[in-house]
Amino acid sequence: MSRVDDPHRPRLGPGSRLTIRREGGLAHFPGLAAPRCIEGDKCTPGQRRWLERLLGEVLEGGAVEASRTQAEGQPSGADRRVFRLAIDEPGEAAGGGADDTLPPRWTLIVDETRAPGSLVTLWRHGELGEEP
Amino acid sequence: MARPDDTLSRPGFTPPYILERLREHGSPRQRRCAEATLTHDHSFRALRGPQAAERLPAASAPGRPARYIYTAEHRETLPGRLVREEGQPGIDDPAVEEAYRWLGATYRFFWEVFERHSIDAEGMPLIGTVHFGQDYDNAFWNGTQMVFGDGDGELFRRFTVAIDVVAHELAHGVTERESGLVYAGQSGALNESLSDVFGSLVKQFHRGERAAQADWLIGAELLTEAVQGRALRSMAEPGSAFDDPVLGRDPQPGHMDQFVVTQADNGGVHINSGIPNRAFYLAAQALDGYAWEVAGRVWYATLRDPRLSPDIDFAGFAALTVDNADRRHGRQSREEQAVRDAWRAVGVMP
Repeated sequence: MSRVDDPHRPRLGPGSRLTIRREGGLAHFPGLAAPRCIEGDKCTPGQRRWLERLLGEVLEGGAVEASRTQAEGQPSGADRRVFRLAIDEPGEAAGGGADDTLPPRWTLIVDETRAPGSLVTLWRHGELGEEP
Repeated sequence: MARPDDTLSRPGFTPPYILERLREHGSPRQRRCAEATLTHDHSFRALRGPQAAERLPAASAPGRPARYIYTAEHRETLPGRLVREEGQPGIDDPAVEEAYRWLGATYRFFWEVFERHSIDAEGMPLIGTVHFGQDYDNAFWNGTQMVFGDGDGELFRRFTVAIDVVAHELAHGVTERESGLVYAGQSGALNESLSDVFGSLVKQFHRGERAAQADWLIGAELLTEAVQGRALRSMAEPGSAFDDPVLGRDPQPGHMDQFVVTQADNGGVHINSGIPNRAFYLAAQALDGYAWEVAGRVWYATLRDPRLSPDIDFAGFAALTVDNADRRHGRQSREEQAVRDAWRAVGVMP
């Protein structure tokens, strides 16, 4: 199957919302667990392509889709931190409004030490790249 | 300050909490911390280099630890460069010395109290890497070794500073070898609680404290003066360790009535561990004396109990502790009653 047709490959459209959470660690601090959200309709097409490429890079680097973590097992160890990335489509909810009770259509979990630096920078600084 | 669930708008998003804090204060140190993330390598950092397990030294003789301390030199490659091994003289690096000393204290506790010879009971070398990452505010067990960050200096000090945190990480290795408790949900919270129990016991053993003298705090030395808090967790009073504008409020419950159902934190492993933590504290307090002598041995026997399934829940674990207290001290003994009462007090047993 080509990468273009890969159903696991993340897609970001104008109606998509990408949420990035950093979870885990030696203790849980609610104040540090605030998710960062990126609305697709507030990004340029080039920025969405940049995000798609980043998510693909994360996936190829050993991240696991959340739906598969149970079957494939968790990484060994404890107190490790992970990034949880989720894409949902708020506009698909009834009435066209956001419905946070709907599960995201795509969720990825990546160990912090396997995350590309650009993802860490995105989470910390909110710096988006852009592709032509 | 950024609020939870803030929606971040293009071209970026609302700056995260830490950058807000940096902008507010703007000290050179804080700016350096923020800039450090920009220097991250864009490749997959931790995948480089051989893993510690590939070049493990031979096991040590019973009763003697085999400590190997590495420095990651502020990168994220494991294990890093070896800077001190067993028997070598100390060096001028507090993180290295703390890791060496506290791993030794933890080994001594497990050996002298339980006659356990290291993580695997067969003399497995104790490998710790310090100076992991840039201003890295975490410590973890990766299945092979312990890893410690230096902290950002603003919220967290270096993670080797607290004996119970070092012992907590080593204890994860013991739990992994003995029971393989699944690191999610209630079994994950038990996994975390066991590391807090043994972490606290190592601290008490090292200080020669009785249960009534102990502070029952985890990581009391970790938080800087800038944080409104006294530790990462309180085993005596879960939910009371910190209440800070940046870190938020300690989310730990101390009773099943407040059990937190969440997807975050592997199903709340560091949150709901407050419940079994408090049960251990209550049992130890009721029995008085040194907490490792009775309560600690009951919990350790439970950890090694073949009936302990990897996905056990609080109720199943509690029943096993009561049964192990019964086996060691007799049915309806003071010890068995103290353990049973402790689980009842936190709402796990009827």
